[in-house]
Amino acid sequence: MLLTSLLLIPFLGTLALLLWPGNPTPSRLRQITIGILAVQLAFSLATALAFDPAQVGLQLREQHSWLPGIGLDYALGVDGLSLPLVLINGALTLVSAVITRDISQRPRLYFAMLLLISGAVNGAFLADNLLLFFLFYELELIPLWLLISVWGGVNRAYAATKFLIFTAASGMLILGAFLGLALLTGQVDFSLTPVLSDRLAMGGQLWLLGALLIGFGIKIPLVPLHNWLPDAHTQASTPVSVLLAGVLLKLGTYGLLRFGLQLFPEAWERLAPALAIWAAVSVLYGSLAAIAQTDMKRMVAYSSVGHMGYVLLAAAANTPVSLLGAVFQMVSHGLISALLFLLVGIVYRKTGTRDLEVLRGLLNPERGLPLTGSLMTVAVMASAGLPGMAGFISEFLVFRGSITAFPLATLLSMVGSGLTAVYFLLLVNRAFFGRLAITPPSGDAVADARLDVQLAPVAPRETIPALALAAGVVLIGVWPHSLGRISEVATTALATLTTGSGGLG
Amino acid sequence: MSDALPLPLQLIWLVPLYGFSGMLLSLPWATGWIKLNGPRPAAYLNLLVTLLAVLHGSLVIREIYALGPQHLDFPWFQAADLNLRIGFDLSLTNLAALELVTTMSLVCQVFALGYLDKEWSLARFYALVGFFEGAMAGVVLSSNLFMSYFLLEMLTLSTYLLVGFWYAQPLVVTAARDAFLTKRVGDVLLLMGVVTLSAWAGSMEFTDLYAWAGTARENQLISPLAGTLLGLGLIAGPMGKCAQFPMHLWLDEAMEGPNPASILRNSVVVTCGAIVLMKLMPVVALSPLATTVLLAVGTISALGGGLVAIAQVDLKRAFSYSTTSYLGLVFIAIALQKPGIALLLLFAHGLARALQFMSVGSIIATTNCQDLTELGGLGTRMPATAVAFLVGSAGLVGLLPLGGFWCYGLLVENLREVAPAIALIFLVTNSLAAANVTRVYRSVFLGPATPKTKRAPEVNWLMALPMVSLAVIVLLVPAIMQRIDPVPGIASFSLPVGLAVVASGLVGVLAGSLAPSDAFWSRSRRPTLRLLQDLLAYDFYTPEIYRRTIVRPVASLARLTRWFDITVVKGMVDGLGRLSLATAEGLRLTVSGQLQTYVLTVVLAVVVLLGSLQVLRGVS
Repeated sequence: MLLTSLLLIPFLGTLALLLWPGNPTPSRLRQITIGILAVQLAFSLATALAFDPAQVGLQLREQHSWLPGIGLDYALGVDGLSLPLVLINGALTLVSAVITRDISQRPRLYFAMLLLISGAVNGAFLADNLLLFFLFYELELIPLWLLISVWGGVNRAYAATKFLIFTAASGMLILGAFLGLALLTGQVDFSLTPVLSDRLAMGGQLWLLGALLIGFGIKIPLVPLHNWLPDAHTQASTPVSVLLAGVLLKLGTYGLLRFGLQLFPEAWERLAPALAIWAAVSVLYGSLAAIAQTDMKRMVAYSSVGHMGYVLLAAAANTPVSLLGAVFQMVSHGLISALLFLLVGIVYRKTGTRDLEVLRGLLNPERGLPLTGSLMTVAVMASAGLPGMAGFISEFLVFRGSITAFPLATLLSMVGSGLTAVYFLLLVNRAFFGRLAITPPSGDAVADARLDVQLAPVAPRETIPALALAAGVVLIGVWPHSLGRISEVATTALATLTTGSGGLG
Repeated sequence: MSDALPLPLQLIWLVPLYGFSGMLLSLPWATGWIKLNGPRPAAYLNLLVTLLAVLHGSLVIREIYALGPQHLDFPWFQAADLNLRIGFDLSLTNLAALELVTTMSLVCQVFALGYLDKEWSLARFYALVGFFEGAMAGVVLSSNLFMSYFLLEMLTLSTYLLVGFWYAQPLVVTAARDAFLTKRVGDVLLLMGVVTLSAWAGSMEFTDLYAWAGTARENQLISPLAGTLLGLGLIAGPMGKCAQFPMHLWLDEAMEGPNPASILRNSVVVTCGAIVLMKLMPVVALSPLATTVLLAVGTISALGGGLVAIAQVDLKRAFSYSTTSYLGLVFIAIALQKPGIALLLLFAHGLARALQFMSVGSIIATTNCQDLTELGGLGTRMPATAVAFLVGSAGLVGLLPLGGFWCYGLLVENLREVAPAIALIFLVTNSLAAANVTRVYRSVFLGPATPKTKRAPEVNWLMALPMVSLAVIVLLVPAIMQRIDPVPGIASFSLPVGLAVVASGLVGVLAGSLAPSDAFWSRSRRPTLRLLQDLLAYDFYTPEIYRRTIVRPVASLARLTRWFDITVVKGMVDGLGRLSLATAEGLRLTVSGQLQTYVLTVVLAVVVLLGSLQVLRGVS
């Protein structure tokens, strides 16, 4: 019942919010949502406690026949691959509810959608049935579309539509691959059977895996399927960006590992060299594009494109160390990008802009945002892979696990890690160092700069979520065992699926 | 790890933590949570933990004298075939380096109390210095490559933050950026080496790496190309840390940071980089080419740094380039497999350079000026500072029988047979360094007083005390060197070599004294001389070279990617969107309302679907 409760809490919460009697104020609704999400996080932690890290395979399983006619079972389970992501989901949805302020427009719907996303994501990570996964994968799409298109920025209609079309295409490809797999193998109960595809010849495997790769590649996103992401991020409000970068992108990489690698190990091995190159291209493309951005949020969005490329590299190499690195990278990217978006959100709220050509000297101790600036320094250093924080150990595991399999792609990805330092250092240097000034967008940086800036102080309650995320980043950085012990058995098992048929070593 | 070890040894893991805890203890003041009574308590707490680190280190040294070298390690993270550990190599040389680091940190922190007396963010400075000290203490004790790399990168971060301490100044902004990025380039290359080595050798312990390097050499495990790339990657990190050509420009710009941090950077941080290189040398030696590159880098840095230093008019920069030059000498010694002498040189250089930078700091603190052309006549006004400057400089240059002299003697003696040209380079570098300190001494301490120096008093006791104590230590350096390296002794070179070293030093001093030193005409009017002067003063135009060869290509590539992203990728997506809208508009007109057409469409679609599935099954 533990896993079901992870679905019931947010879903019942959604209903409760929608049916709540009377006319509750936005802040009241926010408090209720925070309460529900706190309970959900507590249950996620309880799941982590009940979880036995030494056991191979899915645990805490629950299985009920639902619609046997079409092979849809209500089957849940958790393993070392999904548990960290469930925890991240629990933590980050809570964070995004906490940092939601001044929602005056349809607050009831907003918070209900937040809860709905949280439940759907939990469902997708816990699903032990292909159709059930697909159901939750699609279920998460609609509330997110609403969150962008109702509460987004000026250009929100364009961004939301683009997001919807891209992810709908992603869903169709995934569903097509699942259906194809079921029909071709004749196993129509859609259960998650590892190595299911070896009943097929290589040609069919490659077609189905290709569909999955493009489907999940849109979600991750990988270059050149990434075009929806920067727009979605720039138009979404801060809490939605936190969710999108921290949690929803992970559905793509999770799907890649769970359904790509686990169901199609043979075809995967065939495609691995190409995937490694694809990963390196994604990393370099994302990093280079980020250097040229002047909108902080867009820069962070492109950095996501680059950093998710590491996960593909690790998955392509398919060694125990690299797959553990993939899980680490998912978690640390979740925490770090959430932190980055949150801080950019604070800057935007206090200054009204995110333009790196407008902002200067925000670290100013009296009139600027010193604590936000310090946390931003921590966040960008973590993202650039400085030791002592989560980014470093994740990247180290990915690179260490991949270098013997794909030396060139790994070295190129490491160059991307160097480029991360370039663009994020530019961000800190431009916006936070120097003399506090705000230049009008079209003005001359020296002549037209407004120097008499007095920014409203950041209240402690605004920075507490950021401090909590930063603490998590440092915790994983200095004590990686805390995460490693959960995932190691699962990733090792996943990496050794193919060793019977000659693994990649 | 046995329980029989004495307590100070068992608790060795505390040593790096003293510095880090100093950082944490300073945070309440650095962030402004505690405002009562000013930021001084943070400084006192840091001094206290650093003092603990010094005392703990000296206890450990006593035990190691009795027990012999020890190795302790603790598991940190283990997964599959990867085993990352925290390891401490407790040998006398490592512990001597540790004491150098912690003592210098202590001395600098006292000095900083005086130097940063009126600084509003004193607590932040101490937090950063604590972080700095912790990372350095870990680096010198580390027994494995992973931990060394981990801490070296932390040093990069703390250098960035310390250089960027006065972040509101425009020059500081670029200086901090360049310091971070230059070092980061070295770090990423080093990381490539570390990751590769970890995958090839399995273990990260230095002793295992040496064993692996031996096997690899005998059995030809790796191709020469791979060996060369590995070697180059491994030397790139220390090159960045030790400010060697061509990754030296950050040290010059880093002089924008507060002086007490400059003291640490020029004396002990570069030492840490060189120690890591020394530990890596048996692996680097797999590739003759990498060793040659190391030698070339050292030579260019030694001579180039020495020359550029002479052309500087900025007090701090004149010596930071000299640091590059001396570390070049250390690189040469390491490349030629003379680690013992390299260590002695690092030790003598670290102490004397720190003293030199303290006197420089005193001058800047009292005159608020670091331009050589605006200083003069300070000798009588600041006698203690002048003496400290003289002692520090004498400790560096091979002329008087202080640290520098004995190191030069040993190096020249050991190399004159195998590489006479290199021995000559040492002598030339010595002349350059002597000329540099002499000309600086003349323009700062001698001559008439200038408006900026007329009323300069001697520094307060918080700065004078560490400076004078360090001067005494520098005078004692030869005796300490003799204890560190009793066999064959620091005087094991012949009389002609000693005379040659003294002669090269004298030449430098003479050149420095006789060169015209008119502040007004400091830039020559003769075009050829002027060209040379500019070439050196602008550091061979290295920043410009960087701008053209690296910054611009990366920036253009980034712009190209953005263009591609907007024009091609987004263009295609938007085009697809428009196309589908247009098709929809077109299709709207085909809607006939006839049921038969719809049924036909559905049937056709089903046939196509089933057909393609059949084809797929056929393929499989």
